[in-house]
Amino acid sequence: MRFVPQLFPEGEHFGLLAEYDSPGALVRACEHVRDAGYRKWDAHSPFPIHGIETAMGLGRSRLPYVALIFGLGGALGGMALQIWANAIAYPMVISGKPMFNWQPYVPITFECGVLLASLATVFGMFAFNKLPMLFHPLFGVEHFAKATDDGFFISVEAWDPKFDARATGELLSSTGARRVHLVRRREDAAP
Amino acid sequence: MTNVIDNVSHEPVAGRAPLILGAPDFHAITEAVAQPAERATPLAWWLFFLPSLGMLGILGLAVAWLVWEGIGIWGLNQPVGWAFDITNFVFWIGIGHAGTLISAVLFLFRQKWRTSINRAAEAMTIFAVMCALLFPGIHIGRPWVAYWMAPLPNQMGTWPGFRSPLLWDFFAVSTYGTVSALFWYVGLIPDLATLRDRATTRMRRYTYGLFALGWRGSARNWQHYETAYLILAGLATPLVLSVHSIVSMDFAVAQLPGWHTTIFPPYFVAGAIYSGFAMVVTLMVITRKALGLEHILTRFHFDRMARIMLVTGSIVGYAYAMEFFIAWFSQNPYEQFTFVNRAFGPYWWAYWTMITCNVLSPQVFWCKRARTSLAIHFVVSIFVNIGMWFERFVIIVTSLHRDFLPSSWGMFYPTTWDILLLIGSFGLFFTMFCLFVRFLPVVAAAEVKSVLPAADPHHATGQRATPAMAGRLAPEGAH
Amino acid sequence: MSHDRAVAVDPAQHRGKAFGRLTGVGGALAVAGVGASVALAGGTPQFYFSWLVAYLFFLSIALGGLFFVLVLAVSRAGWGVSLRRVVENVMATLPVFAVLFVPIWLGRHELYAWARPEEVAKSALLRGKAPFLNEDFWFVRAILYFVAWSALATFFSTQSQKQDETGDERISARMRGIAPVGIILFALSTTFCSIDWMMSLEPEWYSTMYGVYFFSGAVIAIFSFVILLVQFAYTQGALRGVVTTEHLHDVGKLLFGFTIFWAYIAFSQYFLIWYGNIPEETVYYMKRQVGSWQSVGMLLAYGHFLLPFFFLMPRAAKRSSALLVIAAVWQLFMHFLDLHWAIMPVLHPESARPGFVDLAAFSAVGGVFLAAIGWVSSRRALVPLGDPRLPEALSFENV
Repeated sequence: MRFVPQLFPEGEHFGLLAEYDSPGALVRACEHVRDAGYRKWDAHSPFPIHGIETAMGLGRSRLPYVALIFGLGGALGGMALQIWANAIAYPMVISGKPMFNWQPYVPITFECGVLLASLATVFGMFAFNKLPMLFHPLFGVEHFAKATDDGFFISVEAWDPKFDARATGELLSSTGARRVHLVRRREDAAP
Repeated sequence: MTNVIDNVSHEPVAGRAPLILGAPDFHAITEAVAQPAERATPLAWWLFFLPSLGMLGILGLAVAWLVWEGIGIWGLNQPVGWAFDITNFVFWIGIGHAGTLISAVLFLFRQKWRTSINRAAEAMTIFAVMCALLFPGIHIGRPWVAYWMAPLPNQMGTWPGFRSPLLWDFFAVSTYGTVSALFWYVGLIPDLATLRDRATTRMRRYTYGLFALGWRGSARNWQHYETAYLILAGLATPLVLSVHSIVSMDFAVAQLPGWHTTIFPPYFVAGAIYSGFAMVVTLMVITRKALGLEHILTRFHFDRMARIMLVTGSIVGYAYAMEFFIAWFSQNPYEQFTFVNRAFGPYWWAYWTMITCNVLSPQVFWCKRARTSLAIHFVVSIFVNIGMWFERFVIIVTSLHRDFLPSSWGMFYPTTWDILLLIGSFGLFFTMFCLFVRFLPVVAAAEVKSVLPAADPHHATGQRATPAMAGRLAPEGAH
Repeated sequence: MSHDRAVAVDPAQHRGKAFGRLTGVGGALAVAGVGASVALAGGTPQFYFSWLVAYLFFLSIALGGLFFVLVLAVSRAGWGVSLRRVVENVMATLPVFAVLFVPIWLGRHELYAWARPEEVAKSALLRGKAPFLNEDFWFVRAILYFVAWSALATFFSTQSQKQDETGDERISARMRGIAPVGIILFALSTTFCSIDWMMSLEPEWYSTMYGVYFFSGAVIAIFSFVILLVQFAYTQGALRGVVTTEHLHDVGKLLFGFTIFWAYIAFSQYFLIWYGNIPEETVYYMKRQVGSWQSVGMLLAYGHFLLPFFFLMPRAAKRSSALLVIAAVWQLFMHFLDLHWAIMPVLHPESARPGFVDLAAFSAVGGVFLAAIGWVSSRRALVPLGDPRLPEALSFENV
């Protein structure tokens, strides 16, 4: 029984890795891979490339909803905490103000909302991106280190239904890849 | 860098001046940013680090003596019950605001030049918040019960008073510190991955690798990452407004003339950003030289920072004038006296130091040659740092020392320990900054790459900009 | 971010004549409004107060326009070039407000307690404030505001129009050079006009934030109004393809942002006075908690901030013409209510008394304002055709 979702394809190979010369070449290649109907694939670049989400056929991130829900929750929670603490649990008159009043609770309500929304944004982003992921088969490919420097890559994973080492490799080559590399599942255990 | 061209002498009307000089390719940016964190520690670094560490030692001594002996070692007493401690707190928290302005507000306004300075400015924010949090922490007299400020059930069954502005401060500043740290860390992840992939020793690879979380520049990740960045910017913008507004409310909800005035929130925010930019300029003038980043942190960037200082300095000047005018307009004798006393009372020198440094000194930035001269930048930024410290001193001390009842008027004189604590807080700040400069990428390499002309997928020549292209003053925007 | 998809602008498509209809409609409204308000209440305090509210409402739109133009110039914003002319045309109506000021000058004794000698004689405070709050100096200040506004509006308007023909880059540089000075003049004049014409209605009361409060409303007003004008131009077949969803998205973002800014300023002013609880300051809000004024205040808190905040938050709302128009009309209405709430309790301390005179004055001032926009617009192109950065604006895309 498997409790942890499977992260990488079974079998000897992880997939194919193709390297491109420029952001423009990468975006054009992505359009081809998208049109060919692949689903389990990704592009890699040292910085976000404008327009690549459309070229890859990705929808918009749902992160804003996560942030909104947690932000509202934080704000309501913050307000409730203050009213409960200062008007119910430990009522105390300060500068002649009434027990129930919203005005002095606004600052902390706002801060709690922002705090929860920010935490949700960052940890939600980690969750959507499946980070931290300290091991990944691509780290075994030596020239993949360029993905954080000046390299532009497409990786197609072997468990994509359309994956075929030969046909997919040809597709990638035909999109102008500088080189295409078959990635083993475990070339080298080091991160 | 070879092929350095000037990006300030002529600003094209159509198109934009290049942000990064010398038309480097992506790899050159990686090299320029990563090398300072990878090379052997240069001697010059020790020249900055050791004195900072010495000042940090002074801080340790001053805090230890304070905890041992008590608040009585400071010069504050009736009627001036708040003095250096809260001045330093407001000063440091204000310094932090420029980092958030650069990383969040300028991001929302699509100011691409921010990419060269945002990393260092955000780091500065975090260190400034650390310095700021120190002061309320030690000022409560019994720092070991500082946890009473948090809404935790405690042995006495009491709760913090949520109607107190000091508690709003606690929430605002700790939220601000947390969000700033998150923002900074999220921005660092791609660059930590770069350092991991370039690491030559196992130790560095594992350390940077651990904090890079396995980042591999995936476009699917970038999409969520950019969304997260945008949301954080959207949250940090009202947050930064709220933090100094809440700090201003420490004073403005009171009834004391000089403290109680409605313009305080936006006026404090503008002052905070102003002082923060001054500190960014002071640090960056030195850092760019020490790390050889002159082509990434160009005079164009300083020109833009000078403009922001001119704007925020003018807003601060507007607030000073408005306070004076309304004090007269109110026809309230206490209000009127407070402001006359500020300018001509026993602390006149503090007031005029403030006016000279904050209102007069940045006026040189009307002149373009001043905006693009690093020497003038350095001098003016120091002036503004001094002026903004004095602004808080003037607001706090001059309002307190002569209030409604002349029989309880008095004076405040700082003791040696007051001054040593102030010096010590600079030690903490500079020590942290030295460590940051030594071990982490000082420039957000991934973001700088994304504003290079070659990063645009529609760019004609792809990654490798031709020398002919580099010489022209028409990078992004022209294609 | 710009791309190769530069769009050619056909000047024939974007003639200001598209706005010509505004002249007729506005003229008719003005005549009807002036007639109705004089017939209903001519010379009574109600007439002058209603006129003041309507006047400040439309003035704040025009001043917002001036601010928008100045900021576009000083920040070298590329995206805004394609809608700048529409804003300039709103700004260019500023000289007309000197004429519209006449009823306020006529009604100064009805409007302002400090202008009534018997009140001044009773109050030591008013005698103390007399060096500032006296009829002559007040009038001289008004003249100074109109001179400053007219000079700035005329300068930026004519320079921009000149560039249509010459395409001279130096004009952009010149506008950029003047703009910072303009912003200083704008800040001072807007602050003091709000003190002179609004805050001094309750001359004992004071707030250092007041100018910023008026400014924040003015900025909301111009962004809302620009959205409506662009939609109107669309119906006349102009501006399509020049001012796109991308530009409206940005205006929507600014509207959203300044809605928060207004709430921040309004809350800060209220909150500090509420917390300090000093009688000479709380009087302002005490007056506005009487009768139905209390409900109007609550409506402002929810309607001018909370509702539009959630309404404008989703990206989709800022990219849909229909939703943006709803938000813009609503925010303009709320801005009017904000001014009404700030001014009218002086006349009707017992309760809110909206009436036909308010409507008539609104129609009178608004009619003149629209007619002026129509007249100004019809004499020039609706797009700054000669601006060197127009191509950048046309190819602008939000990320």
